[in-house]
Amino acid sequence: MLRFLTTRLISMVLTIWAVSFVAFAIIQLPPGDYLTAYMARIAAEGERVTAAEMEAMRQQYGLGDPFLIQYWKWISGIFGSGDFGQSFEWKRPVTSLIWGRLGNSILLEGLAVLVMWLVALPIGVYAAVRKYSLGDYLATVFGFLGLAVPNFLFALVLMYLSYVWFGTTLGGLFSQEFERAHWSLPRIWDFFSHAWAPIIVLATAGTAQLIRIMRANLLDELKKPYVTTARAKGLPEWKVIVKYPVRVALNPLVSTIGWLLPTLVSSSVIVSVVMSLPTAGPLLLRSLTSQDMYLAGAIIMLLGVLTVVGTLISDLILAWIDPRIRHGGGR
Amino acid sequence: MLKRIPHPNACVRAIRSRKILAALLPGLMLSAAPALAYEQAPMLDERVESGDLPPVDERLPKNPLVVEPYESIGKYGGVWRSGLRGGNDNGWIARTVGYEGLVRYDREWKKVIPNIAESWEVNDDATEYTFELREGLKWSDGHPFTSEDVAFTVEMFKNPEYPANTWIDAQSNPTSVEVIDDTTFKLVYDKPNGMLMDQLADINGTMIVTIPKHYCSQFNPDYNADANEMAKEEGFQNWTFLMQDKCAWGWETERWTNPDLPTIGAWIVKEPLSGDAARVVWERNPYYFKVDPEGNQLPYIDRLNMRVSESAEELTLMALNGEIDWQDRHINTNANQAVFYDGQEKGGYHLGKEVRATSSTLVFQLNLNHDDPAMRELFQNKDFRIGISHAIDRQEIIDVVFIGQGEPFQVAPRPQSQFYDEKLAKQYTEFDPERAVEHLEAAGLTETNADGVRLMEDGRPVRIVVDVIAALRPEWVDMLELIQLQLAQVGIEIEINNIDRTLFYDKRPGNDYDAQVWSGDGGLDVMQEPRYYFPANEESVWAYKWQAWYTGANPDIAEEPADWAKKQMALYDELKSEGDPDRRAELMKEILTITKENFPVIGVSLMPDGYYIAQNNLKNVAPTMIDAWLFPQPGAYDPAQWYFE
Repeated sequence: MLRFLTTRLISMVLTIWAVSFVAFAIIQLPPGDYLTAYMARIAAEGERVTAAEMEAMRQQYGLGDPFLIQYWKWISGIFGSGDFGQSFEWKRPVTSLIWGRLGNSILLEGLAVLVMWLVALPIGVYAAVRKYSLGDYLATVFGFLGLAVPNFLFALVLMYLSYVWFGTTLGGLFSQEFERAHWSLPRIWDFFSHAWAPIIVLATAGTAQLIRIMRANLLDELKKPYVTTARAKGLPEWKVIVKYPVRVALNPLVSTIGWLLPTLVSSSVIVSVVMSLPTAGPLLLRSLTSQDMYLAGAIIMLLGVLTVVGTLISDLILAWIDPRIRHGGGR
Repeated sequence: MLKRIPHPNACVRAIRSRKILAALLPGLMLSAAPALAYEQAPMLDERVESGDLPPVDERLPKNPLVVEPYESIGKYGGVWRSGLRGGNDNGWIARTVGYEGLVRYDREWKKVIPNIAESWEVNDDATEYTFELREGLKWSDGHPFTSEDVAFTVEMFKNPEYPANTWIDAQSNPTSVEVIDDTTFKLVYDKPNGMLMDQLADINGTMIVTIPKHYCSQFNPDYNADANEMAKEEGFQNWTFLMQDKCAWGWETERWTNPDLPTIGAWIVKEPLSGDAARVVWERNPYYFKVDPEGNQLPYIDRLNMRVSESAEELTLMALNGEIDWQDRHINTNANQAVFYDGQEKGGYHLGKEVRATSSTLVFQLNLNHDDPAMRELFQNKDFRIGISHAIDRQEIIDVVFIGQGEPFQVAPRPQSQFYDEKLAKQYTEFDPERAVEHLEAAGLTETNADGVRLMEDGRPVRIVVDVIAALRPEWVDMLELIQLQLAQVGIEIEINNIDRTLFYDKRPGNDYDAQVWSGDGGLDVMQEPRYYFPANEESVWAYKWQAWYTGANPDIAEEPADWAKKQMALYDELKSEGDPDRRAELMKEILTITKENFPVIGVSLMPDGYYIAQNNLKNVAPTMIDAWLFPQPGAYDPAQWYFE
């Protein structure tokens, strides 16, 4: 196990380094740089920037340097002193901008995942056990509806209905008076009274997929002899199903935990923009369109780190729930 | 001889009848001018009683600026709710609380009037401007606002380490300050600077009065030897970054991320803008230097609350739901207009009119400096441009894209402008394919290929790639698609090239484009923004190499302009150094006459009016506003005298 962990950790560091390099390179691919984006934004306002001002800013930001030097400055700052560089657009250190947003993302999307699992797993189990029943078809229909309706459209419809029916505007994660407050019971209540809508929107999309995977996995398992044996031994039906085949059927789900977070962050960008959620998605989108490269690079890199760490965690959980992996691994 | 411009407060204005105040303050009679007793907002009473704040008479300057209300004397209180788009929407903040310069424009955008400065004098050759500040003027922390603050700002902008490069330290004619005493200073120029008062009165003029020396000097190594270490400790590379973070100038975003930065404006930021802020909250500045004619210190409105939203949809719903008191930006799109109109009763708001400062909805800019000699010759041929102009069915575009709003219009001063010239605005706007063909043939395009596309002299078909940023204004693409069909009728092929805005800008220095489109800036701000009247600045894309020759900013690509453009440039140089406004107007008209003769860019239709939405209980709001950046609405219409009924 120790050897397993060490090799995994080493490969993790290498992966993260590779991610940082590729991320930095991709961000630089589009034509122009932050300053051309800035100039365009200012011009759309009816204002203009003089060439001299641009040149002064270009020097101040070090945008004239070659790619490798820029990359080296950036990466050595991160590993040397945890300094992710300056955000051009905000003119302040990137670290002061991202943590709060990333925290919101993890909280909100974690809750969405939880809801997704809580809804999808029982339905998936039910759909497998009662194959081709009315309930199975209903679950399938609603699941696919959730999958087929684009997230942002669902969000817009929810916002519109809430305005028409209740006269309230959905948006954000907190009421304004709780925005800056410390966590307390009323604040938690306020959070949930806002967060239910985005959680539902984010959860619906993944639910169908989960139901289908769970159903298919479980159907494979139910036919296996050990299930028949368990039944023959007289175990109660629910115990037969929950204790053995469901655990096995969970394997493919658990092994993809690591990808959940980046998938959710990237798929929730438009929902976050539409519902004005203070998560990492809109910040990433903005930084990409304005070519605020250190900010965008930092977010992409942190998502990479989360993916890698998530994969490690999912491997560990897998080993824990499935003895075959724990004992059978040749390492 | 010095021209003395009197300030309107020199004589006390006739005071209106005032029932409420007279009842409250029976002793206050207004026989003698200085006896005007000042009143403050109730929310400040407690702080004055506790000794936290000095009394209002001591907070106001000796000679506060008297703001004439639109309709009536207001009452104190209330919160003005509005919305920011994204975390970085400094434009909205600049427009609402940021427009506070040494001088300002009157509400018609015609004349420069006093603001922070109470008067000024200009010498004959427009090289020395002497300003008189209000005596006893204070920053929002109670510290006196003096000539030293202006001198500090100008000196810092001219520091080569500090990357400002604004009009203050313009290489061609930088500003110097001569401090005479606490309230008197001179702005001095080597060369005549006739446009200075306009520059000071527009939104960019705010730069010179936004940096308080007593607070900001701690970040400057000339005043604090540890400034660089301080910056490093805070995580910045050097002092210039920390300075920009703490003491950004004018309308820069960071200016509103630091609640400790004293300001001169009507409201102080309490909950600042930041990467994860969901709202920005402002509170009245107890030292604000303006009063109404009855001596009530402005602003009337206690607080501003700006929702920071990523979502234009959320802001639209908030406005429909009556959760926004005044807003135009982000929500006043063409598409939303019908929805807002229908929702007036339910939302308790009404729509007001905004006259856009832009002239044409689209400016078709052929690259007159094209690298391909055949294209260049063609684009520089006036007959070719006239032919294209006549081939465009402008009424069809107006009907289809703008639901009938607007009229055919070239890129020219708007009818409201003193420079309006009917011929310049209307020439070649009739839709006349036959005339179009005549002109195109006169330009040498007599032959066509099998597809009906006209051929240039070297046998290549005329095919123009038009760059456009659809993300910025979706209607540009709608318009271009119609223009594409219309031009195909006369044998001109255009290809619509929808690209990202950074690429759009990146192509310019490389001269890598046939044509680009934008909207017609300079419809009302004719003199300040002449980019389409002659090759004046980097936004004159139709003659990018010529403008480089003129501005001298990028000598590598500069190219000597045509004689007519050179003549315009000489006239504009003369205009910039001319102190007399009437003479400046004459010079501008001469420039426009040359524009009219040469017809460099093609316009489509007059930009239709926009709108704002205002809650019905919000009073003293101008029913019609000009929508411009240099003259920023609503700041230019004194939101400090708005009040809630």
